[in-house]
Amino acid sequence: MSVEPAVSLDAITTELADAVPYAASAGLALDASALGEGDLRFYITFHNRAGVKFYAEFDCRDYPLYPPTIEFTNETRTARGIPSLYPGGFHPTPCVCMRYNRKAYTERGGPHGDWRLVDWHLATPGGGPIETLAMIISDMHTKILDSPGRMG
Amino acid sequence: MSEERTQGQDKDKDKGKQPRVTLQVQTPRGLWSTTAPADAAKRPVYEISTKVAQVVADARAVFKFTESDNKYVLLQGSAALDPERPLASYHFAGDTLLVLSVQGGNA
Repeated sequence: MSVEPAVSLDAITTELADAVPYAASAGLALDASALGEGDLRFYITFHNRAGVKFYAEFDCRDYPLYPPTIEFTNETRTARGIPSLYPGGFHPTPCVCMRYNRKAYTERGGPHGDWRLVDWHLATPGGGPIETLAMIISDMHTKILDSPGRMG
Repeated sequence: MSEERTQGQDKDKDKGKQPRVTLQVQTPRGLWSTTAPADAAKRPVYEISTKVAQVVADARAVFKFTESDNKYVLLQGSAALDPERPLASYHFAGDTLLVLSVQGGNA
């Protein structure tokens, strides 16, 4: 099952109305300049309290039926998904091991064959539901602030 | 401190009230201020003895963050505010922008 890119783009654009000011207020750079039906990705630069930067790509294909695939890249987006690009404290797969990340599911190589993609709005153990792009950004921001540095 | 604020605080003192501080709180569901959202039942204007925890609770109520299993923390820049401290201890200027962070679980 998939979602028409126009439908995903509409949902993403609607949610960015909250996510963009939230990111700006939190001091996070959000780049949605390439966002369109042909490219449903946007990017956020997070940082920990020591000022180490982490570059995250949100690939929102099939959103909002399925969650975004969140991956850490290097600054130029030419490398991705390796431990040295991840903040320490995240799952060593490596991945952001939350229901809101498609990479956490087995179909994307993640550890969770016990989760169903369509249930991505449900709570991840130890917390409540994280249901929107702005809430995802908030959750990641808080965890990355506390990160001691790079994973590898 | 501006002359206007000083005068405002003096006026409060004259009435036997504590000085107040006006905040802005950016949440993942929108900005809470003296004007937004339009239908808010409360505004982020507080006596300076108010604890940070009360601001968190009010921001959650305004935007209906009812998920009690999440963690809610107010941030000023990268610094997390202690919920038990009074606002006075942070010496906020008027209209200081705070961020309500919402943190879920971990698998």
